[in-house]
Amino acid sequence: MLFLQILANGLVLGGLYACIAAGFSLVWGVLNVINILHGSFIVLGGYLAFFGYTQYGIHPFVSIAIAAPLFFALGYVLQRTLINRMIAAPVLLTLTLTFGLDLMLANGMLAAFTADFRKLILDPPLGILRLGALVLPIDRIIAMLLALGLTGLLYLTLSRSRMGRAIVAVRMDREAAALMGVNVKHVYALTFGLGALMAGASGPLLAMIFPISPLTGPVYLGKAFVICVLGGLGSVPGAMIGGITLGIVESFGSLWFGPEHATTLSFVLLIAILLMRPEGLLGRKGYA
Amino acid sequence: MKRLSFIARVSTAVLSACLVWSSPLMAQELIRIGAPLPITGPLSPEAKKLQNGINLWVEAVNKVGGIKVGAKRMKVEVVYVDYQSNTPRAVQATERLITQDKVDFMFSPFGSGAAKAASSVSEKYQMPTIAATASSEQVYDQGYKYLFGVYTPNQTLTEPLADLVAKQASGVQRVAILARNDLFPLAIAQEMEKSAKKRGMNVTYFEKYAIGTLDHASALSQIKSQSPHWIFATGYINDLILIKKQMADQGIEAPVVTMIAGPAYKEFVSGLGKGAENVTSAAWWHPAVRYQGKDVFGSTENFNKLFREKYGLDPDYGEASSAASGVVLQLAIEAAGTLDRQKVRDALAAMNTVTFFGPIKFGPTGQVISLDPPVFQVQKGKQVVILPTAIKQGNLQLGVK
Repeated sequence: MLFLQILANGLVLGGLYACIAAGFSLVWGVLNVINILHGSFIVLGGYLAFFGYTQYGIHPFVSIAIAAPLFFALGYVLQRTLINRMIAAPVLLTLTLTFGLDLMLANGMLAAFTADFRKLILDPPLGILRLGALVLPIDRIIAMLLALGLTGLLYLTLSRSRMGRAIVAVRMDREAAALMGVNVKHVYALTFGLGALMAGASGPLLAMIFPISPLTGPVYLGKAFVICVLGGLGSVPGAMIGGITLGIVESFGSLWFGPEHATTLSFVLLIAILLMRPEGLLGRKGYA
Repeated sequence: MKRLSFIARVSTAVLSACLVWSSPLMAQELIRIGAPLPITGPLSPEAKKLQNGINLWVEAVNKVGGIKVGAKRMKVEVVYVDYQSNTPRAVQATERLITQDKVDFMFSPFGSGAAKAASSVSEKYQMPTIAATASSEQVYDQGYKYLFGVYTPNQTLTEPLADLVAKQASGVQRVAILARNDLFPLAIAQEMEKSAKKRGMNVTYFEKYAIGTLDHASALSQIKSQSPHWIFATGYINDLILIKKQMADQGIEAPVVTMIAGPAYKEFVSGLGKGAENVTSAAWWHPAVRYQGKDVFGSTENFNKLFREKYGLDPDYGEASSAASGVVLQLAIEAAGTLDRQKVRDALAAMNTVTFFGPIKFGPTGQVISLDPPVFQVQKGKQVVILPTAIKQGNLQLGVK
């Protein structure tokens, strides 16, 4: 029974992890930009949900719909005005740029919201779902389903829509795509916008589960890194598989080796994957 | 805008350099105390509390003309340095405050770990140092002569707690302990294990979680499978809010749930709402304690009143202990009648007095041994004292959902 409960915990956590990593993976895979801002975007989305709920009574699920276009616009503008200027530079330079932007955003949030940990408490709470002896919190289940839904939507956008095909084309071969008439700069900005959208939309989901503070940004970023390497860069199903793998490994690691070694185990797995399958579980160049 | 702030920074730097330069002159009128604090980074909420307490004390002292040193009164100035929640930087900041800023006395950085790390610097320069927030005995077991702490050892928290639970909830047999893998949270968890075993309870689960853990679901599922009577979790406020929320997520209920250190803070109750109900905890101080002191605040009531006037909130134990570290230093300087470090150190070692914070007498290691830490429980959103009997505001309620 305990085994089933731990497996369920891991799956639910994995769904959330997938959502954290999907946008990050997309930007890294397509733009070759390691977006250090990703964690802070999630936190900012969390604050949006927190203040929306406590001040205006807007349910966090509704906040997702508000956050999505806002963060898409923010990401698009940021890419168009700043990051596109550096896009041809070595990856270290764009990393430095997003690192600098992240310092500004994180410190701005520290100044505006302080470092205090806030918790979004739903009133009434969503409660828990009991399946026999199995207990799962409903907020986590909904958040996981929404996360998987969002990730699935991103996958469909990339594989079915014209915009998505353009993004994939640019990822496969930038010059060829440009010759075919794809506006590369616009596609880059769209991609970054989508990445920001995923981060901003996962903020309200995570705000229902974890405390919100500017200091949790790097924690989310760290998870996103591990998941991307596990699943493979730039692949949405990869992010999903990577996220779920990490969730399950952490859960069982905690059971078998004690909670203090859960993270150690996930990094051991990371190193093992890097050695044996450096492209990640589902990493293949050029596929969404 | 950037240029302006740069100029502002340069002029501040020049100005402070001038101040440091002129300090031998100013030392005649001013007592300067160094305080390295984690003003930014993960521990910044704690630093804010410490600053609130220290600033209130400085204000109270300077209002009466300063600390009485022999025949004259000298005003107090605290020199804060931000060590960014990074312990090695706390050590560097301590060294800098002593050697470059030439402060007269020191306050320790936050928490047991950083206080211990910085204490070797203070000892090297024979600098009397007061630790406001270091309770673990491992901080004081180095044979140092210049470090004094205002928190009693960790078992003074777990012993009365275990006593109370053993007496009032006789069915409590199985105890589960989940501890943050960090100096203080782990040390107090180990004391809890001893206190529970001493009373014939069975510790069925004892695990540590890594600093920065976001998901406790697996550990909690495992705890739940053992249906413990008493769940004891340690960590700082963010960890404990997370653990309590995830306990509710799994439908974990137990007769007694104790968390240290977090429930003493207002943020714990506001962060959990009804989920905080009936969680027990213990701390070294509570605004409900009542002491008549010989210090600048006079009594606990007066301290609470001044604190409320300045900050609009009731003080918690962190805020009180940082004010108390100022009070203790002041009493030692006044007893010594000089700023001579050796004499002030001896006055601290010989101290036996009562303050708004409680009776102060240091043991041979420099750690206070005279406090009687209150045990409390969150009841209807308020921290209600349930022990010691003299100041009790309510009785232990069993059942935490």
